[in-house]
Amino acid sequence: MERKMNMKKLFLAFAIAGCSVVGGSVLGQTPAPVSSPPGPAVAAPSPAEPAAVPITDADLKAISAPAAEDKAKGDPSGATTGTVGDIPVGDAKKGLAVGDVVNLVGQHQIAINFVWTLVTGFLVMFMQAGFAIVETGLCRAKNANHTMMMNFMVYGVGMLAYWLIGFAIQEGGVGAIANLGGTAPLVGEYTIHLFGKDLGLWGKTGFFLVHHGSYDVGVMVLFLFQMVFMDTALTIVTGTCAERWKYSAFMISSFLMGALIYPLFGNWAWGGGWLATLGGNFGLGHGYCDFAGSGVVHAVGGITALALGIIIGPRIGKYTRQGKPNAIPGHDITMVLLGCFILAFGWFGFNPGSTLGASANGNLRISSVAVNTMLAGMAGSFGSMLYMWIRYHKPDASMTGNGLLAGLVAITAPSGFVNPVASVIIGLIAGVLVCLSVEFVDRVMKVDDPVGAISVHGANGLWGVISVGLFADGRSNYGGSWNGVGGSVTGLFYGDASQLVAQLIGVATLVGFVFCLSFVFGLIVDWAVGQRTSAKIELEGLDIPEMGALGYPEFVLKVETTGVE
Amino acid sequence: MVFVGIVITFLGFLLAMFSVGLTSSTGSRLILVLLGLAISLAGIIGVINPAYLKTAIWKK
Repeated sequence: MERKMNMKKLFLAFAIAGCSVVGGSVLGQTPAPVSSPPGPAVAAPSPAEPAAVPITDADLKAISAPAAEDKAKGDPSGATTGTVGDIPVGDAKKGLAVGDVVNLVGQHQIAINFVWTLVTGFLVMFMQAGFAIVETGLCRAKNANHTMMMNFMVYGVGMLAYWLIGFAIQEGGVGAIANLGGTAPLVGEYTIHLFGKDLGLWGKTGFFLVHHGSYDVGVMVLFLFQMVFMDTALTIVTGTCAERWKYSAFMISSFLMGALIYPLFGNWAWGGGWLATLGGNFGLGHGYCDFAGSGVVHAVGGITALALGIIIGPRIGKYTRQGKPNAIPGHDITMVLLGCFILAFGWFGFNPGSTLGASANGNLRISSVAVNTMLAGMAGSFGSMLYMWIRYHKPDASMTGNGLLAGLVAITAPSGFVNPVASVIIGLIAGVLVCLSVEFVDRVMKVDDPVGAISVHGANGLWGVISVGLFADGRSNYGGSWNGVGGSVTGLFYGDASQLVAQLIGVATLVGFVFCLSFVFGLIVDWAVGQRTSAKIELEGLDIPEMGALGYPEFVLKVETTGVE
Repeated sequence: MVFVGIVITFLGFLLAMFSVGLTSSTGSRLILVLLGLAISLAGIIGVINPAYLKTAIWKK
């Protein structure tokens, strides 16, 4: 008893210390001025600044380019490559003018942002490989081809749906994105008038990437980046439904999710929809804030996985007749942990890339976002490893991998708004939460989730959304406003309780709306083609009956039978 | 029961969404949103899932 009391005191002391470090103090804290610049409180007297001297065309003409004969000798040091001679001139007769230089500066800013967003988008695309081998490794060898193919084709079917319909629904009304130099054609948002305000529901422009002037360089960058995010959400579902999902049902479900379910919530959060404008319309902080998609991507994927997991039901052999869960180990833990590393690498595209730029508008925060991401992942893996070690006396490898992913999922929404200490706390809680959630889903709900996707992405996606409302420190500043509300995003621990309310409305929307929509679509697909394979096929393994070939044809696979035909 | 569960889950969402129009107090909105969230979770965990567990494959 006394030991328990001591443990309680110790826990309380840690909690108070943690809150003090993050927020100064949780209760009665005077929030720091939102726009206070970093540095000393009392400004030192500055020396008199020299009067600005405008640069003229004549000044530019005085700058000489390297001589042609010098350049012909080669440039091993790089000193004569990239000089005034490389600046394009608008009017050859007039020569180099200030306007040419200013235009080039503007284009360079947008070019940096284009390259940053595209390259980080490429990293996110590579996460599909990580998901594929994590899920396949956690499934049995007899289903390797089927699981791999679902992860492979979710990329194609999702992209098709998103190109045809999804992108327009999500981003068709987003308006001009300054970091990408405009995206001006995306200005059509369908709204309803409720409570005296216009609430955005879905976008109306950008179908096929040609509709309403959307054949535009900025729109193309946005499409690529948003497309790979959408595909991440879709591939979460394949993990939960693995080893018994009919391939045709998977194709139809993925198309519906890429065309409608994901884009609808994406519009509400990122496309100028009603969740994003909760701040401007109803005074709830900065509206629903989800920096890189704990809610939009991961919780949407995890909650859809829960809906389909309930409909499809558990694998044969997962539960005894008394409802006691059996462990069904995956076939390759090396694939699982390698996949987790690939995902962690891709996350450096996921979160820092969500600034949609590296130049201007506060985008140098990309360093902070990247560090927060890696710290939370580390804390998540520690949290789950220690939990499993203490509770089950072994540092379970697959759960440690899931802990890393849980930390990364949780930090995805707050990564742009919190400090490094908060990131570690968020990640650590995520690491423990994923273990508790797996146990709850497995033992209480009896929903079979072979890879733990509901817990990793669903539970921790929701935790990530909530954590913005708690830990956002009011020090980020992306061009002076977020979701159209001036100042920086500030959570409860830093003085703004209304931000937490906005985040919770987002959580309620994910749980109440996204679940219902996914569930109804799941029922329709079940009625149309059937979600689940027959018991005979499931026992035999899905590779031959569904895909026509084994994943490992030279392996001797153990065949299970229960006499079920 | 599945249909009832869907209705309950959706009603929870509506309560949370409409909280912004029902009151302007942050505390009251917080309570309404948490209530809506609890109703939605009850619909999923307490109604829909048990309805499917009644005919679960491991009971056959």
